[in-house]
Amino acid sequence: MTIRATGITKRFGSYTALDSVDLTVEPGELLALLGPSGSGKTTLLRILAGLEFPDTGHLELDGIDALEASPRERKVGFVFQHYALFRHMTVFDNVAFGLKIRPRAERLPADAIRRRVEDLLELVQLAPFAKRYPTQLSGGQRQRVALARALAIEPKVLLLDEPFGALDAKVRKELRRWLRSLHQEMHITSVFVTHDQEEALELADRVVVMSQGRIEQIGTPDAVYDRPASRFVFDFLGQVNRLPCAVSGGVARLAGGALTVPAVGDPAQGDAVAFVRPHDLGLVPDGAGLAQVTAVTTVGPMARVELALAGETLEAEMPRGQWAGLGLAPGARCGLAIEQVRVFPR
Amino acid sequence: MTGAVGWQIRRPSVLPGFGLTLGITLTWLSLIVLVPLAALAVKATGLGWSGFWSVASDARVLAAFRVSFGLSLAAAAVNAVFGLLVAWVLVRYRFPAKRLVDALIDLPFALPTAVAGIALTALYAPNGWVGQPLLDWLGVRVAFSPIGIAVALIFVGLPFVVRTVEPVLQEMPPEEEEAAACLGASRFQTIRYVVLPSIFPALMTGFALAFARGVGEYGSVIFIAGNMPGLTEIVPLLIVIKLEQYDYAGAAAVGTLMLLASFVLLLILNLLQSWMRARHVR
Amino acid sequence: MSAEEKASVAQDSVAAPVVVRVRRPALAESRWVRRLLIAAALVFLALFLLLPLVAVFVQAFQKGFAAYWEALVEPDAVAAIRLTLLVAAIAVPLNLVFGVAASWCIAKFDFRGKHLLTTLIDLPFSVSPVISGLVFVLLFGLHGVLGPFLKSQGIQIVFALPGLVLATVFVTFPFVARELIPLMHEQGCDEEEAALVLGASGWQTFWHVTLPNIKWGLLYGVLLSNARAMGEFGAVSVVSGHIRGETNTMPLHVEILYNEYNFVAAFAVASLLALLALVTLAAKTALEWRFGAELAALKRH
Repeated sequence: MTIRATGITKRFGSYTALDSVDLTVEPGELLALLGPSGSGKTTLLRILAGLEFPDTGHLELDGIDALEASPRERKVGFVFQHYALFRHMTVFDNVAFGLKIRPRAERLPADAIRRRVEDLLELVQLAPFAKRYPTQLSGGQRQRVALARALAIEPKVLLLDEPFGALDAKVRKELRRWLRSLHQEMHITSVFVTHDQEEALELADRVVVMSQGRIEQIGTPDAVYDRPASRFVFDFLGQVNRLPCAVSGGVARLAGGALTVPAVGDPAQGDAVAFVRPHDLGLVPDGAGLAQVTAVTTVGPMARVELALAGETLEAEMPRGQWAGLGLAPGARCGLAIEQVRVFPR
Repeated sequence: MTGAVGWQIRRPSVLPGFGLTLGITLTWLSLIVLVPLAALAVKATGLGWSGFWSVASDARVLAAFRVSFGLSLAAAAVNAVFGLLVAWVLVRYRFPAKRLVDALIDLPFALPTAVAGIALTALYAPNGWVGQPLLDWLGVRVAFSPIGIAVALIFVGLPFVVRTVEPVLQEMPPEEEEAAACLGASRFQTIRYVVLPSIFPALMTGFALAFARGVGEYGSVIFIAGNMPGLTEIVPLLIVIKLEQYDYAGAAAVGTLMLLASFVLLLILNLLQSWMRARHVR
Repeated sequence: MSAEEKASVAQDSVAAPVVVRVRRPALAESRWVRRLLIAAALVFLALFLLLPLVAVFVQAFQKGFAAYWEALVEPDAVAAIRLTLLVAAIAVPLNLVFGVAASWCIAKFDFRGKHLLTTLIDLPFSVSPVISGLVFVLLFGLHGVLGPFLKSQGIQIVFALPGLVLATVFVTFPFVARELIPLMHEQGCDEEEAALVLGASGWQTFWHVTLPNIKWGLLYGVLLSNARAMGEFGAVSVVSGHIRGETNTMPLHVEILYNEYNFVAAFAVASLLALLALVTLAAKTALEWRFGAELAALKRH
C-alpha cells in the first residue's frame, strides 16, 4: 500500500508536535522514522494509524482519503511500544482477537481462525506458548505476540512504535535481524519509529530523520549517513567533530588557515562550521604536524584518539591495529588527513 | 532462638520499637476486638447445640436473614452497575463540577447512618419529594417496604464500588484499548472484551465490600424499613429486639450466625477474586 | 472591497491549509453516548446522594430558624452534643496512638503472622455495628460474662460513658492504621535507617523523620475516624440504654426525636451531623487535592 501524507500539522495546546509534514511511503518498503524524543515521530505514526487526528493536512492510503476512516476501517497493524497485550487473554486469544471480533458476515469459521492463529504463532516461533498469559512471557516473546496479533488481521501496512525500545541489547539485536528477514519474506509496507540511529540504519530501506516536528531528511541509510542534509542530521546520526572554518571558493580553511580541505555541503561563504566524523579523520605521523595526541582509549577493537588542534579538541577513531602501526603515543605530534568535510553555516 | 536457622519470628532490622509497638497493638487488639468477640462466641455456645439450632431455625430469624442477605445482594448488584457507571463517567469524561461530584461520592462514608436514614425516609416516604411521584405515577411504594431497605443499602454501599473501580480504571493503559481499535474492534466490543475484563476483579471487590456492608447496616435502614417482622425486619434489628427483651443468648446466637454467614460469603468472594487475579496479574 | 483586500483574500484561499473537521479520537464514545452516560450517572447520584443531603437541611428549617435554634439549645440536645464530643475526644486519641503503633510494627517490620494481624485489625470493618455494641453488652452487661462481678464492684460500663467509648473505639478501630500502613509501607525504611546511622535515637527518628512523612495521612485517618466516632449509631445505640440527657449521643437523640414525630428537632440535630460530614468531606478532599501525591498510596489499596 502507498501512504501519502501531505501538510500534516498537529498541535497539543501551544506545543506543535508536527509542522506541515509531507511523507510518502512506497509499497513494500520498510521505513524508519528516526528522531530524538519530542521530534513528532510517534505522533506521525499514530496519525497514520488513526489513533490521532491532525489539525490540518491530508492522508491517503492507496489513494483513498484515510482521515475519514477510523482505525478499525484502515486495516492497519499497530505494534505498541509496550506491546499493549490484553492481560486477561492467553497468547492464543490475543492473536485471535482481531479475527473473532469481526462482524459475523466477514468472520472466518472457528476452526479457520484457530488454524490461522496457530500458523502465526508458528511464524513468530511461539507455538508452544499459546496457552500462556502475557505476564508469563519474556519481553522478546511479548513483542513477537504483539507482532503476530497485528499480522492476524492481514493489515495492508504495519506500524511499529519503538519496536525494540523495551528490550535488552542482546534480544534487541536478534529481534532486529528476525524482523528484517520477516519483512523480506512478507513484503508488507512497514513503518517503524525509533530513536536509535543504529537500528534505523541497519533495518530500514529508507530513513526519515525528524526533529522538532519537521522532517530533516529522507533517504536511504547510506544517503543520510554519508550526505546529511543538515547539521542536525549530521549530529544525530553519529559521533562528530565540529571545527570552525572559513569557506571561500569551495575550500574550507581550518585551524586558522593551516589546513585546507574541499568543502561539501552548504555552499555559504565566510565563517562556517566543518563537520568531520571521527572515522574520517586520518592521522599521519609527523614530528612537526599540526595536531597533538593528548589521550588514547581502546574500546574493544577500536582505538579512540583524542587530539588537540589549534585550541580545539578532536576525536579520531580507527581499528586498534592501525593505531599501533602509526607508532604514536600521547604527546606526539601528527598530521591530519581529511578527505573532505561537510560545511554548515555557523 | 539459637541455631534455629531459617526459622525466625521476624526478619532482623535495625529499626527499634518492634517489641513495644507489637505489644501495644496486640494488647489493644485483644482488649477491644478479640476478647469481646470471644464473649459473643462463649455466650452463643452457652445455649448448647439444640438451643442454637432452635434460634437459627426460627421462622422470624430465617425471614430476617432472607431480607438482610437478599436485599444486600440486590443493592450491591445495583451499585455494581451504577457504581461502575459513575466511576467511568468520573474517570473518562469531563463535565462541570466534576471534582465536586467526585468529592460527594464519599458522603455515605462521612454522613452518620441515622441522618442518612431519616433523610432517605423523608425523601422516599409516600409524601416525600421522590416517594410521592413514584407512588402516584408508578404505584411503587419505596419507604416502609423492601424497596426502601434496598434504597438505604444502595446509599451506604455506593462509595465502595466507585472507590475500588475508579483507580483501576484510571491506571488502565489506553494502549490496550487502542490496540483493540486497530484490530478492528468497535467501541462497544473494546469495552466489552478489553475494558470490562480488566476491571472485573476490582468490580467484584467493590461488590463484595458493598454487600458485606449492607448485611450489617443498621442505622440507615431501620427508619425507612417499616420493620415488619418477616417482611422488612433485618437481622441487626432482630438482635436489638432480642437484647431489649433481655434474651442475651438469643441475640448472641443470631449475632454469631450473622458473623459466620458474612465471613463465609466474604471468603467465597475473596477466593473467587484471587482465582481471577491469579490469571492476569499486572 | 478594494483591490488590495481582494488580493489578500485570494492569497489566503490559496495558502489556507486544508482544515480537517474536528474528529473524535479513537477511544471516545460518540457525543450522545457520552452525554447520556453523564446524565444517567448524575441523575443516579442526585437521587441517592444529593437529595438526601438537601432534604436534611430543608426539613430542619421547615418551621423557620427560631424553631431550628430552639431544637439545638434545648437541654437534652446540648447534653447530647456534649456527650458526643466527649466520646470522640476519648476514642479518637486512643485509636490514634494505637494506629501509629500498629502501622509502625506492620509497615516497618517483616514478621510471622503479619498478614493475620492486618486482617484482625480490619475485622471491625466487617462486623455489623449492632454486633459491635452487642459484644460489650454480652461482656459487661448485667447478664453478661463479667456482669455480676462488675455489679459487685459497683462499676457500670454498659448504659454509661465507658460503654459508649468502648463501642466507639471498636467501630473506629481500624481507621488510622488502615490509612497509615500502606503509606508507611510505601515510604519504606530508608530514611529511618539513615537517621539511625546518623546517631538519632528511636524516638528522635520517629519524631523528626517518620512523623513529618506521615502527618497528612495521619490527619486523613483522624478525620475519618472522628467522623465515624461522632456519627456512630448502631453500636452506641445498643450500649447506651437511651437515657435522655445522660447517655444519648447526637445520633441517638435524632432517633428519639424522630420517633416522637418531632421532625423539625430531629432534622435540626441531624443537620449538625450533616454539617460535620460536609466539613469532613471538604477537609478530606482538600487534603487529597493538596497532598494527592503523598496520599496516593491510600487510594490504591
